[in-house]
Amino acid sequence: MRIKKKQGPLGWAATILLALYCLIAIFLIGNLILSSFKTKMDLVYNTFGFPKSFTLGNYYKVLITDDFIRYFYNSIVITSLSIISLLAVSSMAAYGIARYKFKGKSIVEMYFLLGLMFPIQIAILPIFIILRNMHLLNTYSGMILLYTANLAFPVFIFSQFFRDLPKALHESALMDGAGEFRIFSQIMMPLSRPVIFTVALISFVQIWNDFYLPLVFLTKRSIRTVTLGIYHYLSNFLAYWNYVFAAASIALVPIIIIFFIFSDQIIAGLVTGSLKE
Amino acid sequence: MQSKKSYILFILPGFTIYTVFMIIPLFFAVYYSFFSWAGIGPKVFIGLGNFKKIFFDSQIAPVFKNAIKNNFVYMAIALFVFIPVQILLAYLIHKKIRGYSFFKLVIFLPFVISSTIVGFFSLLVFDPNIGFLNTFLESLHLTSLTSSWFGDPKKAFYLLTGVIGWQGIGVGMVIILANMKGIPEEVVEASIIDGANEWVRFWRIILPFLKPALINVIILSSIYALTQFDLPYIIGGPTGGLDGAMDFINLFFYRYTFGDSYYGQTAIGFGASISVVAFSIILFIAILQNTLLKKILHRD
Repeated sequence: MRIKKKQGPLGWAATILLALYCLIAIFLIGNLILSSFKTKMDLVYNTFGFPKSFTLGNYYKVLITDDFIRYFYNSIVITSLSIISLLAVSSMAAYGIARYKFKGKSIVEMYFLLGLMFPIQIAILPIFIILRNMHLLNTYSGMILLYTANLAFPVFIFSQFFRDLPKALHESALMDGAGEFRIFSQIMMPLSRPVIFTVALISFVQIWNDFYLPLVFLTKRSIRTVTLGIYHYLSNFLAYWNYVFAAASIALVPIIIIFFIFSDQIIAGLVTGSLKE
Repeated sequence: MQSKKSYILFILPGFTIYTVFMIIPLFFAVYYSFFSWAGIGPKVFIGLGNFKKIFFDSQIAPVFKNAIKNNFVYMAIALFVFIPVQILLAYLIHKKIRGYSFFKLVIFLPFVISSTIVGFFSLLVFDPNIGFLNTFLESLHLTSLTSSWFGDPKKAFYLLTGVIGWQGIGVGMVIILANMKGIPEEVVEASIIDGANEWVRFWRIILPFLKPALINVIILSSIYALTQFDLPYIIGGPTGGLDGAMDFINLFFYRYTFGDSYYGQTAIGFGASISVVAFSIILFIAILQNTLLKKILHRD
C-alpha cells in the first residue's frame, strides 16, 4: 500500500491523543531547563513561565559550592573508561566465540547469554563482599570492573555481527601472514565500527544513568556520580528544589543531545539485543 | 597451527571477569543464605533459619508478602495493560499516522532519562503542596480533585506504576514495531484483496506474526517487573512509602542488607537469603513463561 491515504477521524483522534501524551515529556524537560535559570522567588511566583531574571546562580551553587563539578567528572571517568573496557573485552570474547570452531562452543555461548536473563542486582551482595575484600569499594576501578562484567548484551550484539562477516576475509589475511591479533585489531575492528558505536551509545545511556550500582558501591561523597548527587538533593526536595533543576539539567542535557542525534542507532541496537530467536 | 587455539585468548578476559563478578556471586549468595553473618566476624551456620524468618517471622513475613505482592501486581499491569498499549502504539506508528516519527521519538525518550530525574519529575508533578497537578486543579477550581497523591497509600502504587510505565513503555514499543516491519508486504496486500478489514487483518495476520517478539517482550517485562528498584526507592524512599504501598522485593532486600541494619546482627546472611528467594522466583517465572509460551507458539 504505497498510496498515501487520507487519515480518518479515528486516526486523527490517535494523533491528538499521542500529541497530548508527548506534551508531558516535552513540558517536563522544557520546564526543567527553563527553571534551572530561575531564582527561587521567580520559581515560586512564576512556576511555568520564562525566567523573569535570568540567573546562573543555581548552576554556580550546584557545580562549585555543592561540588557537582566533581560528580560530573566522576560520571565522565566511570562512564568513558567502563565503555572502553567493555568494548574491548566484549568484542574480543564475541570474536572468539563467533569466528572459531571449538569443542563446547555452544555451551560457552549459552553461558554468556545467561547474563541477559539475570540483572546484576540479584548478585549484588556477594559482589559487594568481593569488592570489599579487594578494597575496591568507593573506587573507579571497582565500578569499571562491574560495568565490564555486565557484558552479556554487548557480547550478544558483537557475536551476531562477527558471525555474518565472510570467512574468506579471515583466511586471506592469514595467508598474508597476519597474526590473529593483528587480524582482529586491524581488519575486524575497523569493519565493526558501526557495531562498536551502537554498543558504546547504549552503554553510555545505561552507565551514565545508572542509579543502583553507584548507590550501593559509592558511599563516599567525593566519588558520587551525578545521578547519585541528584538523589541526595531529592531526599530533601523542598529545601533544594531550585538547585535540583540545575543539577538535573547538567545530567540530562548530554543525554538528550546524544539521543536526538543518534536515536536511530540506539533504538536499533536495543531491538537487535532483544531478539534471541 | 598456533592460531587454532587463539580463540581462548580472545574469550579469556571476558570469560574471567564475567565469571568472577556475575556468575560466582550467584553461588555465593546461596552459600551465605545458610549463615547468620553480619558481614564481618564469624559466620554461624543456621541451616534454613533465614528462610524460615522470611516466610514465618511475625515481623518480617508480612512485609515480605506485601512486597512480593506488589511485584506481582505490577507484573500483571505490565503484561495486561502496558503490552497491549505497546502493541497499539507500535501499530499506530507502523500505520504512519500523522506525526508518527515524532511520536516514536518522544514516547521512547523517557527511557534515556535517569531514574533520579524521572523521580524528580514525579515529585514536581505530584507534590501535594507545590506540585503542578494540584496547582493546576486548584486553578480550575477543582479543589475537590486535589490529593496528596504519593502520600495516599491507595493511590501511590498505581501512580508509581504509571511513572514506571511512562519511563519504560517505549522499549517494548520499538521492539514490537521493528517486528511489524518484518511482516511480508504480500501477505498484507493479499488480505486487503481478500477484503479483510483492518480489525480482522490486525487479529488474523499482524498479531500472529508478532508472537515470537511478544514472547520476548513478555519475558523481558516480567524480569523487569520482578527486579524493580530505582523509582520505588527514589519516590517511595527505602521503606517503600506509606503502609509499604510502594515496597518491592528488591527494596526489602536492600533495607536488610545495606540499609539501617547494615551493621546489625544477621544482615548479610539474611540479605543473601532474600536474594536467593528473589532469584528463584525470577528463574521460576522465566522458565514457566518460556515453556508455556513456546508451547502456544508451536501449537498453531
